[in-house]
Amino acid sequence: MAIGSPTLDATEPLYKQIDALVVSHPGFRDPAAPKTDDASFLRRIHLDLTGSIPTAQQTRDFIAESAPDKRVKLIDRLLDSPQYARRMQVVFDVMLMERRASKHIKAEQWEEYLLESFRQNKSWLQLCTEMLTADGTNEQTRPAARFMLDRELNVDEVTRDLGRMFLGRDLQCAQCHDHPAIDDYLQRHYYGLAAFIKRSFVFKDPKTKLSSIGEKADGEIEFTSVFTSETGKTEPRMLDADPISDPPSGPELYKVKPAKDVRSVPVYSRRLQLAQSLADPANVAFRFSIANRVWAMMMGRGLVEPVDMWHADNPPTHPELLGLMADSLLAHNYDLKYLVRQLALTDAYQRSSRYETQPADQAPADADDYADDYAVAMLKPLSPEQLARSMMQASGLAEQQLASLIAKQEKAEEKVEKEKEGKSGKEAAEKNEAEASSATVTQQTSSDPVWQEKSLNKALRSHVATFAGVFGSKGVQQARFDASADQALFLRNGDLIQRWVALKNGLSDRLAAMKDTEVAEEFYLSIFSRMPSAEEARVIEEMLEDSEDRKVGIRQMVWAGLASAEFRFNH
Amino acid sequence: MRRHHDCDGIDHVIARRSFLAGSAAGVIGANAIRGEGLFSPARAAVLETQQKRILQIYLQGGVSQLESWDPKPGTKYGGPFQAIPTSVPGMHISELLPHTAKRMHMLSIVRSINSKIGDHSQGMLFMEKGRRAGEYPYVGSVASRYLAPADGDLPGYIHISKRGINDATAAFLGARHAQLKLDGNKPPANLAIPASIDETADQTREQMRLRFNRRFSKQRSPALTDVYNSSYEQAAKLMKRKAMFEGKAQEKDLDRYGRHDFGQHCLLARNLLENGATCVKVTHHGYDTHAENFNFHLEQLGEFDQTFSTLLDDIHDRGMLDSTLVMVYSEMGRTPKINTKYGRDHWGTAWSMALGGCGIQPGAIVGKTNADGTKVAEREVDAGHLFHTYLSAVGLDTYEDHDLSGRSIPIGDPAAEPIEELLS
Repeated sequence: MAIGSPTLDATEPLYKQIDALVVSHPGFRDPAAPKTDDASFLRRIHLDLTGSIPTAQQTRDFIAESAPDKRVKLIDRLLDSPQYARRMQVVFDVMLMERRASKHIKAEQWEEYLLESFRQNKSWLQLCTEMLTADGTNEQTRPAARFMLDRELNVDEVTRDLGRMFLGRDLQCAQCHDHPAIDDYLQRHYYGLAAFIKRSFVFKDPKTKLSSIGEKADGEIEFTSVFTSETGKTEPRMLDADPISDPPSGPELYKVKPAKDVRSVPVYSRRLQLAQSLADPANVAFRFSIANRVWAMMMGRGLVEPVDMWHADNPPTHPELLGLMADSLLAHNYDLKYLVRQLALTDAYQRSSRYETQPADQAPADADDYADDYAVAMLKPLSPEQLARSMMQASGLAEQQLASLIAKQEKAEEKVEKEKEGKSGKEAAEKNEAEASSATVTQQTSSDPVWQEKSLNKALRSHVATFAGVFGSKGVQQARFDASADQALFLRNGDLIQRWVALKNGLSDRLAAMKDTEVAEEFYLSIFSRMPSAEEARVIEEMLEDSEDRKVGIRQMVWAGLASAEFRFNH
Repeated sequence: MRRHHDCDGIDHVIARRSFLAGSAAGVIGANAIRGEGLFSPARAAVLETQQKRILQIYLQGGVSQLESWDPKPGTKYGGPFQAIPTSVPGMHISELLPHTAKRMHMLSIVRSINSKIGDHSQGMLFMEKGRRAGEYPYVGSVASRYLAPADGDLPGYIHISKRGINDATAAFLGARHAQLKLDGNKPPANLAIPASIDETADQTREQMRLRFNRRFSKQRSPALTDVYNSSYEQAAKLMKRKAMFEGKAQEKDLDRYGRHDFGQHCLLARNLLENGATCVKVTHHGYDTHAENFNFHLEQLGEFDQTFSTLLDDIHDRGMLDSTLVMVYSEMGRTPKINTKYGRDHWGTAWSMALGGCGIQPGAIVGKTNADGTKVAEREVDAGHLFHTYLSAVGLDTYEDHDLSGRSIPIGDPAAEPIEELLS
């Protein structure tokens, strides 16, 4: 057994077991960085669970709160918020679709499906089952079919992504031959997966023009190695599990027989078998993969990194820890919120990103040397969506938009109210009861957090899309942080950021209306989500004294804050 | 066979490859670096003084070797076009390249590439990375890392193309060596400081940004923050060159290069190289000729031939050819067999490329294919060998490791080697 075992106690909550394994890992730096301060924790958890930095007021309140368990309470409050569902929707959309343009399923419907799924806290298993079994014919479940449909059910594309996204393995090279460099990526793994979906195809209804998934009752997978020219055959199989033979067929192979312009449906569907085989507890890769991805989302790096390259020569850095999380997920029916919560509670998550036991002037030379012991929190670059939402939060745009959306809605609600009052006599008396209930619903709308989140998200959507275009990439997502000149030009000279910096009644205007001595605090709380040090406050005051045009000076200061490294990373 | 085993290492590389041999830089450099790792700062300084550059002309889609560098007129799969003599006695190329034919004394041909890949994306990655799989930098990013002056005025690797999205080209070399993609000859977006502020305000806000960064960097690993910061440095460089990017091309030049996209892109490439760019890649699209292979090649290569010849002349006339490696390449070739639509399909088995300039023996032909062009007959190479060859030609020892702390990653695939007979 590994070194960590003696400290493990299965009756402890998961987060304590995780910490025990992190600390007892051979490469762990002792002493580790201390617990991060409240303001940093608040910023970090807001970004991770809601996708944006907190507001200045939220930061003030959290710093001032005295309850000893305020971090736990905050975690639970955020996990229950509609913003959590949104954040997970974005993370899983990028993970599953990798910023593809939508083809058969509208992106909005797919997003709504994911959002609703995370709002209900559907298990990962249920989500996968829905995505891999939906055939697109039922309007209710149709968006779930996007994973298959928008890949055009291209066998190679779907097979590769099934491996990468659900099993943590990029089997692409095993398509043409057993992987030359990776002993455990074999052609039979690739083609075993391919066999589940080989018989399925995109069917386009000639009348409705809607696409859905049809399937044939026959079609076998054969493959040839480009090196040895040996030919192989396989039935569907999940990695090294036994192949799954088709059940003995009865007199009828089809529920709906193939014909021109007909979506054929076989009696036995290999595609429907796929979700079952994935979820088989014997298929440990399924739970290891999702545990690793959730860990990477929270901690900044997978225990297997890249998250889709698990093989014998690239094993997990902490195998026991990954196994623990995977098994715990299985025991909790793949409840992702449970795992996210446990991770947020760990010391490993809550450590400072500064190595404070080192002398101040001595930075660790090479991040790779310290990459994966979790003794110091990692810098996590903000995703394009997090960056956009945080900049809109800091500049005051988000609050402004929300206030105006609420005002508009309230006005509409008032109008409904008035119309109701205007009605007279018996008619009103009769209808009153029925209308009362619907009016109550309307009345509550503007203060409903779910409505607010949705409306604001819609209002800011195009800006977020702009950021995704500049800072995001299509296709396989690179974990490694990269920053290009065109991104810097966008931030430095682009019109959008300039508009936010000079937003009417936004942060710059708010600061401009303050006394010099008050500016620093509001600036630091709004942009960096923390209080300034005395030195930092002094610098800001000096800057204000020196600036010829105070208003312009403040705008430049706001820009510099938004463009800084402290803003760019979750730290 | 490893070069540094048989030839006493680094000074050999410099002595043999240096066009400034005997110059002050060469001598001091060679003395200073003896016995040190290849990419010590001293070594980097030597390479910088030599101003080596790379020009890549990428014929996207897979140019047909039979309609370009390896014609087989009158054979089973030869197609309708003839072969013509070139400025190199005994060397023939396709009649679709009459202007290039007159300049073959500046170029060489490799006719024996067997990459075993008949796929656009995989073939391109193999040609750019010199490896069949894995996270490795492209030729241009390697050039940016080791050939570009640290304080160069332009990003080290610039790609001019009107299609596609950004490739991740730098791998572990880091963002500052990633390709800067230019959308045709449009200048990069957002080059001008916002109208609402002046130069002074612009400087003030930059200083403030750096001040925030300094505080943030304390006791933190600089790995990621450096990457972020360097993107602003690159941006500043581009802003300084605003006039160059936005300048109108001379009518006279446009007449010579052609007013089509490829002509304008090659003209921009010349200007970039003259202005200190290290690696410039121009993509010429449209060679994926599954149908009407012959008509398309007639049209595409006609455009290529005239423009490329003009560019080659200009580089030569400016005295830059000796220090500029020129590559004309595709991600694969095309099948000898002509399909029912008069097309040729994807083909990685026996195809060609041309290269010349810095470090390349001019007027040579390496390898050959069999009579019908269906197989490599002599001196088979793949993109691994070619990768070693490009970078050896510009003076790198491709058996050495990349300059990375704590990791040992050879520049070229250790399983391949440069085509020695092609190196001058």
